[in-house]
Amino acid sequence: MDYAIDIKEQEALVRLTGRLTFNDHAKLRALIKEMLQNAAKRQILDLANLEFVDSAGIGMLLIAREELSNLDKQFILRKAGGQVKRVLTVAQLGKLITIEE
Amino acid sequence: MVFAWSRRKAETVGHGQMLVPVRCEPEVVRDAEPPTIDYQLLGQWIGFADLQRHTMEVLRSEIERTSELVEDSTLDLSRRFRELAETAREQSHRVDEIVAMARFVEIDGIKVPLDELVTNMQQIIGEMIANIVNLSKKAMSMVYLLDDVQKDVTELEKSITDIDGINRQTNFLALNATIEASRAGEAGRTFAVVANEVRTLSKTTSALAQRMRDKITAVVKGVRQGHDILRTIANTDMSPQMLAKERVDKTMDSLVDQTNHFQTVLEGTAASSDELSTVIGRMVTGMQFQDLTKQRLEHVADSMTVMSGGLEDLVARTRAAIPDHIEIPFPQEWIDQLLGRYTLTEMRQRFVRRLLLEGTALDEHGILDVSTEPTQSSGGDVELF
Repeated sequence: MDYAIDIKEQEALVRLTGRLTFNDHAKLRALIKEMLQNAAKRQILDLANLEFVDSAGIGMLLIAREELSNLDKQFILRKAGGQVKRVLTVAQLGKLITIEE
Repeated sequence: MVFAWSRRKAETVGHGQMLVPVRCEPEVVRDAEPPTIDYQLLGQWIGFADLQRHTMEVLRSEIERTSELVEDSTLDLSRRFRELAETAREQSHRVDEIVAMARFVEIDGIKVPLDELVTNMQQIIGEMIANIVNLSKKAMSMVYLLDDVQKDVTELEKSITDIDGINRQTNFLALNATIEASRAGEAGRTFAVVANEVRTLSKTTSALAQRMRDKITAVVKGVRQGHDILRTIANTDMSPQMLAKERVDKTMDSLVDQTNHFQTVLEGTAASSDELSTVIGRMVTGMQFQDLTKQRLEHVADSMTVMSGGLEDLVARTRAAIPDHIEIPFPQEWIDQLLGRYTLTEMRQRFVRRLLLEGTALDEHGILDVSTEPTQSSGGDVELF
């Protein structure tokens, strides 16, 4: 998995590409740290180019949400498709994280 | 000539009252010459009337046979229809039972409605997935925690190494102090004791650092192993199991749809069976036409008996009235016409037998060559010509 952050005032747009699996846990931790440190109130994860997510990936997204929430930052998942969208739906992540089309 | 119908007692046949034509001669012809009587024509009439009488008797017996046949067949048909109606009712009951059962699934002897079962199953799977998600999050938190612990432990190892360095330096200083103290002689004696104590302290610290290093090494080993195990756990992807919910949901939906479809079809079948049994009931009622038919045919047969009796009486009286030498011709032509119309062999044979009893010759029709036994074909002996 790779990511790119684009910060515009109150909004940080993070584009994820590739596959988000357990092997990316160090990288995702670094991303969470960046999201915690930047000034934007809304942290948006663009998942349009994310091909796959495993159960560890779901766990990491929940950790990100928890840590951002502790700093009163909004965490949003956007444009999920394919397997990613199916897993998010089945896991009912929408109950915990704002999911946008 | 004018005829009127007058009622008089039948003498020859004794079939109650009957109507016979009585000639009423008008006043104007009373004084005229008596008309000449054509005895030949009367002879012909006797022959024909005889044939007519026999034919009527044959027909009457045919009507009676037919009436019996219709009665037997109708009773048989009614019985079968009633059986059919009963079967249809039973079928309807059975289908009703199936419909009632189709809504439920029996689990441990308890009937659970299918929709409730599906909801329960979906809830269970939902909870299972929620647990997987929760565990994944906990496992990842743990992984991050142990990542940090590993870093801290490495720091700790480094600190112990630092303590070792300090210790070596302290030991070296204490050794130097001891040397310097012995060089100072008596004046340095007290200092030598202190320097010695410092060396002892340094050795103790070194032993402590070593013990700490041993323990820390054990902790690091444990943490690394735990970390590895946790990685294996966290690295086990459960997303396929989560996605299995999609398949289960679809299967459950299909199951419910299919059951609903079966139920609709079965309800339709039960309704059809009910309707069938009602229609059959009406058919059985409708078969009472046979009673009416029987009565009518009895009337027809009775009338024919009366007419036959009348004919017999008239033939006897006419025969007595004409001279003996007058020939009474056999009405061959009419017989041929009649027989030509009988397409049922059996009926034709009965007709011929009846006439033969009267001693007439009908061999030219070759009817008696045919066996009088009914034909082999079972059921109605209908022959098509």
